[in-house]
Amino acid sequence: MRFLLRHLSLSYARRNLAKTILTLLGVVVGVTTFSSIKTAQDALVVGIGSTVDRVAGKAQLQVTMEGGVPEALQERLRNLPGIRATSPVIEQIVIPEKGELGSLMVIGVDLLGDREMRDYGFEGDDADLDDPLLFLAQPDSALFTREFAKRAGLTTGTSLAVKVPSGVRKVTARGLMSPKGFAQAFGGNLMVVDVYAAQELFGRGRRFDRIDVRLQDGVTVAQGTEMLQKTLGPAYRVETPARRGEQMERLVANFTAGFNVSSAFALSIGIFLIFNAFNVSVNRRRRDIGTLRALGATPRQVQVLFLAEALIIGLLGGALGCLTGTAFSQALLVSMGQSTEMVYGISGSGVVHLTPAIVLQSMLLGLIASLIGAWGPALSASRISPTEAFAKGSFQAKVQRRVGPRIAAGVAFVAGAVALALSSVVKGNALVLSVLLLGGIGLVLLIGPLSRAILVALGPLLTRFFPSAGPLSSDSLLGNPRRSSGTIMAMALSLTFVLGLGGYMGSTRLTIVRWMDDILTCDLFVRASANFSRPDFLYPGAVKGEILALPGVRTVESYRAIRPQFRGRQILVGSVEMDTLMQRVRYSFAQGDLKSMKEGLLNKEMCAVTENFHDRFGLGVGDKVPLQTPGGVVQFPIVAVLHDYSSDQGAVFLDRKVFLKHWQDDRVDIYDVSVTPGTDPGKVRDAIRAKLSGRYPALISTQREFKDEIGKAIDAFYAVMRITVLLALGVAFLGIVTSLLISVAERTREIGILKALGALPGQIARSVVLEALVLALVGLMLALPAGNLFASFMEGPVAKAFTGWAMPHHYPWEVLGELIVALPLVSFLAAGIPARQAAGVKVTEAIEYE
Amino acid sequence: MHKGAKTFRPCKEEPKVLQLSDVVKSYELKSTVTALAGITLSIAAGEMVAIMGPSGSGKSTLLNLMGGLDVPSSGSVLVAGTDLARQSEKERSLFRRAHVSYIFQAYHLMPTLRVRQNVALPLRLAGVAAKEAEARVERVLAEVGLENRADHLPDELSGGERQRVAIARALVTDAPLLLADEPTGNLDSARGKEILALLRSIHGRRGTTIVMVTHDSEAASACDRLIRLRDGQVEDDGAAPGGDR
Repeated sequence: MRFLLRHLSLSYARRNLAKTILTLLGVVVGVTTFSSIKTAQDALVVGIGSTVDRVAGKAQLQVTMEGGVPEALQERLRNLPGIRATSPVIEQIVIPEKGELGSLMVIGVDLLGDREMRDYGFEGDDADLDDPLLFLAQPDSALFTREFAKRAGLTTGTSLAVKVPSGVRKVTARGLMSPKGFAQAFGGNLMVVDVYAAQELFGRGRRFDRIDVRLQDGVTVAQGTEMLQKTLGPAYRVETPARRGEQMERLVANFTAGFNVSSAFALSIGIFLIFNAFNVSVNRRRRDIGTLRALGATPRQVQVLFLAEALIIGLLGGALGCLTGTAFSQALLVSMGQSTEMVYGISGSGVVHLTPAIVLQSMLLGLIASLIGAWGPALSASRISPTEAFAKGSFQAKVQRRVGPRIAAGVAFVAGAVALALSSVVKGNALVLSVLLLGGIGLVLLIGPLSRAILVALGPLLTRFFPSAGPLSSDSLLGNPRRSSGTIMAMALSLTFVLGLGGYMGSTRLTIVRWMDDILTCDLFVRASANFSRPDFLYPGAVKGEILALPGVRTVESYRAIRPQFRGRQILVGSVEMDTLMQRVRYSFAQGDLKSMKEGLLNKEMCAVTENFHDRFGLGVGDKVPLQTPGGVVQFPIVAVLHDYSSDQGAVFLDRKVFLKHWQDDRVDIYDVSVTPGTDPGKVRDAIRAKLSGRYPALISTQREFKDEIGKAIDAFYAVMRITVLLALGVAFLGIVTSLLISVAERTREIGILKALGALPGQIARSVVLEALVLALVGLMLALPAGNLFASFMEGPVAKAFTGWAMPHHYPWEVLGELIVALPLVSFLAAGIPARQAAGVKVTEAIEYE
Repeated sequence: MHKGAKTFRPCKEEPKVLQLSDVVKSYELKSTVTALAGITLSIAAGEMVAIMGPSGSGKSTLLNLMGGLDVPSSGSVLVAGTDLARQSEKERSLFRRAHVSYIFQAYHLMPTLRVRQNVALPLRLAGVAAKEAEARVERVLAEVGLENRADHLPDELSGGERQRVAIARALVTDAPLLLADEPTGNLDSARGKEILALLRSIHGRRGTTIVMVTHDSEAASACDRLIRLRDGQVEDDGAAPGGDR
C-alpha cells in the first residue's frame, strides 16, 4: 500500500497539484470554520466563567438582589455569625476613549476592606500603590493591571480617558497590579476604582451590584448559604461565584449555539467538496485503476488506496484548518463578545487559546469529513472492472438511467422532514437535527436528477442566446453528470441554508419592526445608558417631574426593567405608567383584551405576560405569576397575553405604581416622552439635554433613532447569519473553481479538438464562464423552494422552540437579491482561472492527452 | 532537404495550397530538440499527398504546422497564401475554420455527443445557423454512409464508423485542405481500406487537397504523391508507388 501511495497517489497529486490543493481546501475551510468558532466560543464561555471566578477572589458566596443591594445590607451581613469578611462590589464594562485598547471591566470595591477578599499583587518586589489613602481621597483614582498599563502607555500618576455614562472621564492610575489571580480577570483589561466613586460614576444610587462574602474557617458553603438565605429572605439571591458564572454562560448559550449550526454547515459543505473531488479523481484514474486491477489488485486494495489518500488529506486539512481557525478565532471572539455585550450585557475576556481538545476535535473532524467524502468514490473505484476502465469515453458517456427510485426516496425524505417539523413528536435540538438530517438526505437524493432535468431544459436557451459558447457549456455540464451534480448539490445546499436563515432573519426583523411601530409611539426616548440589557446608569424617579415641566412635553412615562430568574430563566419584568401608555400603543392580544387589561393592570395589581412567557411556562390568563420582590414572593394574576418581543426568555409587565409598591425602587431605565401636537421634538430634546446637562448622562433619541438602535441590536444577535452567508458564497466560489478546474483538466483533449476544429480561445473561455454561471443558476433555482421550506421551518418550529416566538413567513427577498448580485460575480471570479487555463490549452499537446 | 532528395513536380502547374519555406521547429527541453530541420515543400490544390517516415521523423509536427495548430520556430508556412507563422492564435483559429479540416488517428470524437452533434460541432463553433448546419450534417452523413447512425453515441459505433464520423466532421465545413493523421492507424485492414476508399472518393468528387500522415504503405499508395521524412528533413518527395489514379 505504501508503494501504491508513494508512486500512484503522490504522482497523481503532483501532476494535479491545483486539484489536490482544492480538495485539501475543502477540508481546510470546513475545519477552519469549526475550529475558529469552537475556539472563540470556548474562549467566550471560559472567559465569562473565569472572569466571574477571578473577580470573586476568595469570596465563597455572593449576595445579589434585583435592582441592586442596598448599602445598609453590608453592615447587617458583617455582624452575622460565621462571616469572616464582606465586601461590596460594583461591576461595569466601559470603553476607553482609545477604542483599540478594548473593553475595560471596571470593578468598584472598598479597597481598604477588600484585601481579605482579593489579592491585588501589591506585595513583594513589584509593589506599586503610591498611597492607599490618596487613592480613596481622589475620586478619579484607579488601579490597572501592569499588562494593560503597558499597552495603554500608563504609569502611576498618568491618566486614561474612558467613556462613562455621563461622558468622557479621566481616571488616574494610582497603582499597578501584578498579573496574577484577580488581575487576570477579563484578560487583564481591568480597572479597579473605589466602590463609592463607582456608585456615583455609574448611577447606582446607594446600592451595590452585590456583596461578596467570605465565610469563617469551619463554616461550609452550604451552611453559609442556608444561614444567609434564611436571614435575608427570598428577595436576595445567595449564590456561589461558580453558579453565577454558570448562569451567565447559560444566558449566552442560545447565542453561541447558533454558531454551531454554522460550523456544522461549513463542515458538511467541506464533505461535499471532498466527495466531488474524489469522485472526479476516481473518474480520471479509471485507467490506472483498471491497470492495477488487471495486475491483480483486489477491489479492497483499491478502496483502501483511496481511503488512505483521504486519510492523509483529512489529517493535513485538519492540521491546517486548526491553525487558520486559530488565526480567525480572535477576530470572531471580539465580534461574539460585542454581540453578547450588546444583547445580554455580558462580556468575557478577550484571549483565545488553542486547546489540545480543540486540536484533537478539529483533526478528527477533518479526518471523518474526508473519509465520509471519499467513501462513496472509493467504493465505486473498487468496483471498476479492468475491461470497463480501458474502454475510453464509455464511462463518461454513461447516464444514470434509473432515477425513479431515487426521486421517490428523495420526496419521501423531504415529506418526512416536513411532517416531523409540523408534528410535535420531537422538540428542541433533536427536532432541528432530525428535520435537517431528513431534509438534507432528501435534497441530496433529489438534487442530482432535478439538476439534470434543469440542465437539459436550459440547453436550448443557452444555444439560442450563446450560439457558440452555449452548446459547449451545456455539453460539458450534461456530459459529466457526476461532476455537475456534485457542484450543484454543494451550492444548492449552501444556498438553501442561506435563504432559510435569511428568511428567518428577515422575518424576525420585520416582525419586530412592525411590533416597534405599534409599541414605540412616543416622540423621544431619554436614556442614561446605551446598553439595553444591562444599563450602566439609572435615573432617579424624580427626573420625570423635571422633564414633564418642560414646555412642549405632553406626557412622560418611566420605564424600568429588571431581569430576575424565573424557573431557571432570566425573564424580563417591565414596568411603566400603564394609564398613559395604553392610550398611545396598539397591543396585539393572544389572550385577553384592552379593556380588561386596563382594568387589571391599573386597578387590580394584575400583570400582562408575553406570548413566549405563556408558552415557556404554561401560564396564561387566569393563572398567577409568582415573582420575588424585596418583601417576598408576590403572586400577580395574569390579565392578558400579548404578542410582544421584548425578551426572548419571556416578559411580565406591571403598572409602575405596582412595581414601586413591591420593589421599593424608583429608578428608571428610559423616560418615554411625548410632545404636545405641533411641537418640534428637536426643541424638546434640546431642552431636556439642557435640563439634565452636568447632572446625568442623557442619550436622547427620536423615535426613528431609537428603533434603528434596536434594529442594530437585532442585527448583532444575528451576526452568525452573516458569517453563514459569507461561508455560502465561499462554498460557491470553491465549488465552482474545483468543478471547473477539474472539468478543464478532464476535457483537455476535447478542448484541444475543439480548438483544432476552429474554436477560438475566447469561445472556450466564455464557455467555461458560462458553465460557472449555469452551475450557480441551477444551484440557486433548486435552492429557491428548498430555502423557502427551510425558512418556514426556522420561522415556525425552530423560532418557537428557542425564543417562544412564532414568526410569520417572510420570503427572503433581500437575501435573494444579494445572491442574485453576488453569485454571478462569484461565479465569474471563480471561473477566471479555469477559463484562462482552458483558453490556453495547446492543441498539439491536448490531442495527444490521455 | 537531404542531399539528392527528389523534388516532386506535379504534371500541371496548379495553384499552391501549401507552401513551406525552410521551416524549422525545435523544442526547448533539457536540451534543444529539433523536430523539423528546414523543410521546404509545396502542395498544389487538388493533390492527395502522403507523408511517411519513421517514428520521430517529424511527420505529425509537420502536419500540425500545416494546419496552424502549431507555429514554426523559423521559416514560413503559407496556406492558401496566408503565412500562418505570422498569425496570432485567434487568427489561426479563424483561418482553420474556413480552410482546414482534420482527421485524427484516435478519431477524437466527443464521447458525450451524438454523431450528428459531433459532425455539427465545427459549424456550431463558426456560428452557422442551426437549420443550415442540420442540412449540411445530413448531407455529409449521407456522403460517408452514416445517415442511419446519426443519433448514436461514439461508443456505440465500430472503429470504422467512428472514423467515418470524423471524416464527415472534416467535410462539413467544405474546407479545401484536409489533414489526416494516421487515419487508418486504429483500424483493421478491411476497415482501413474502406476509409482509404472513402477519402479517395471524396478527393475525386470534391477535389479537396488531402495531406495524410501514415505508417501504412497501402495508405500511401492510395495517394498521388509521397513525401518521406527522416530526422526532420525531407528525404524523398515523389509520386506515390501506384499513385496513378
